[in-house]
Amino acid sequence: MYSIETKKLTKKFKDKTAVNGINLQINEGELFALLGTNGAGKTTTIKMLTGLIMPTSGEILINNMNIQKDTIKIKNILNISPQETAIAPNLSVKENLEFMAGVYQIKDKKNKISELVELFKLDEVLDKKAKTLSGGWQRKVSIAISLINDPKILFLDEPTLGLDVIARKELWNVINKLKGKITIILTTHYMEEAEQLSDRIGIMSNGNLVDIGTSNELIKKTNTKSIEDAFVKIVTGGNL
Amino acid sequence: MRMLNFARRNFKELIRDPLSLIFEILLPIFLLFIFQQINIPGDTYKLESFTPGIIVFGFSFITLFTATLVSKDRSSSLLIRLGTSPMKSSDYILGYILSLIPIVLIQGVIFFTVAVILGLHFSLNIIYVLFISIIISILFIALGILLGSLVSEKATGGIGSIVVQLTSFTSGMFFSKDLVGNVFTKICEILPFESCLNIIKGILNNNLEIINIRNIIVVIVYTIGILILSIITFKKKMISDNK
Repeated sequence: MYSIETKKLTKKFKDKTAVNGINLQINEGELFALLGTNGAGKTTTIKMLTGLIMPTSGEILINNMNIQKDTIKIKNILNISPQETAIAPNLSVKENLEFMAGVYQIKDKKNKISELVELFKLDEVLDKKAKTLSGGWQRKVSIAISLINDPKILFLDEPTLGLDVIARKELWNVINKLKGKITIILTTHYMEEAEQLSDRIGIMSNGNLVDIGTSNELIKKTNTKSIEDAFVKIVTGGNL
Repeated sequence: MRMLNFARRNFKELIRDPLSLIFEILLPIFLLFIFQQINIPGDTYKLESFTPGIIVFGFSFITLFTATLVSKDRSSSLLIRLGTSPMKSSDYILGYILSLIPIVLIQGVIFFTVAVILGLHFSLNIIYVLFISIIISILFIALGILLGSLVSEKATGGIGSIVVQLTSFTSGMFFSKDLVGNVFTKICEILPFESCLNIIKGILNNNLEIINIRNIIVVIVYTIGILILSIITFKKKMISDNK
C-alpha cells in the first residue's frame, strides 16, 4: 500500500493548467522531495494532497482512502507546516501547542506537548508570545505544531526558507529524526537540502512531473556532477 | 469541542490587543458622558434613549473587531493549517461568534454602569437588555465575518468605519430619522440599525409598544441572511485564498 498515490492528478485555474495529470506513488515512511522552479505546481500539488483544494480531475489516494470521499478521516492522519509560519501570533508557544491539540482533540495532550517540547528544545520559549520569536524559532514552533496529531503523513512546504545556516541544520536534524517513522513530503528550493534529506526526488516543471528518482539516479541519468546540475538539465532540457 | 477551542483562541487574540478594545469602549463612554453635560432639548439625548444608542454604537465596533480578526487569520498561514485539519465551517463561524460574546457582555456592563452613575435608573430591564444584546450582536458579528472574509486586513479599518458611521447615522441615536426626509427615513427602515435600537430602547424603558413588527422582522431577516452569507463567503474565500 502506498502512503500517497495520485492518478492523472490535474488542477486547472480557468485557462491555466497548474498541475497536469501527475501520477505519483510515495511509499510509507519515505521522505519524498518535490523540486521545481517557481510556478512549477509544487504548492498546488501539496494543497490538493492535503485537501485544501480539490482537483479538477484525477484521483488522490491517501493510505488507500479517497481524499474526496474520506476527507475527515484523511485530515486526521496528515498535517502540514505551510510555507509561511502558521502560528497564532498573540498566543504563547505553549498556548499554540494546546490550541492545535484541541483542534485534533488529542486525548493525552499534556504528554504529547512535553514530547514535542523536548524534541524541538522549546523550553526556553514556551511562555513567550509567538509573534515575539525570531524567524527560526517561529519555524521550529510551526513544525512542532504540525506533529501534534502524530501524523502518518507530514507536508513540509519550504521549511527552511529564510533561515540561517545554524537554524537550518537544526531543522535538518529534527527532520532526520522523523525519517522512516512517518511519510514526509518536502518542497524546497535548496538542492542540497533535497539531496541530504530525501529518499527520492520528484522534479516538477510547468505543472508536469518531469522526472523522479534518487539523487544519484538523477545525477547519473543526466550525466551531471551534482543534483543542482541534474535539476537544471531536467528542467531546461539541457538548453542552459 | 473544536468550536470552543477555536473560540478560546480567538478570545485570547482579541484581548491581547487591548489598545483597540480600550478605544472601542472609551469612545462610546466619552459620547455618553459628553452628551449628558450639554443640555440638548428633546428626548434623543436623555439617558433612557441615548444609552441604547451607545449599546448599538458599540456593536458596530464589534463588527470592526470581527472583520479585523477574520481578515488577519486569512492573511496568515494559520487558516491553511486549520484548513487541513478536521475543523468544519460551522466550527469556524461559531468559534468566531462565541469569542465575541463575552466582549459584547463586558462592553454592555461597562456602558450601563457608566449610565447608572450618570443618572440612569437601575432596573431589571438592564439585565434583559444585556440578554437581548447577545442575540442582536450575532448580526453584527456575522457582518464582521462577512466583511473580514471579503476584504484584506488593511481594508478592514476603512470598511469597518463605514459600518460605524452607518450605524450612528441611521440608527437614530443622534437624531430622529424624520428630521432628514423621506428617502433617509426609508433607508433607516430598510437597514437594521434603527430596528436594533428600537428593540433595545423598548426593552430598557419597558415600553414595548415602540417595537413594531417591522423592527423584529428586519432584525431576524438581516441576522439569518448575513449569517448564511458569511458562512458561504468564508468557506468560498478559504478555498480561493488557497489557490
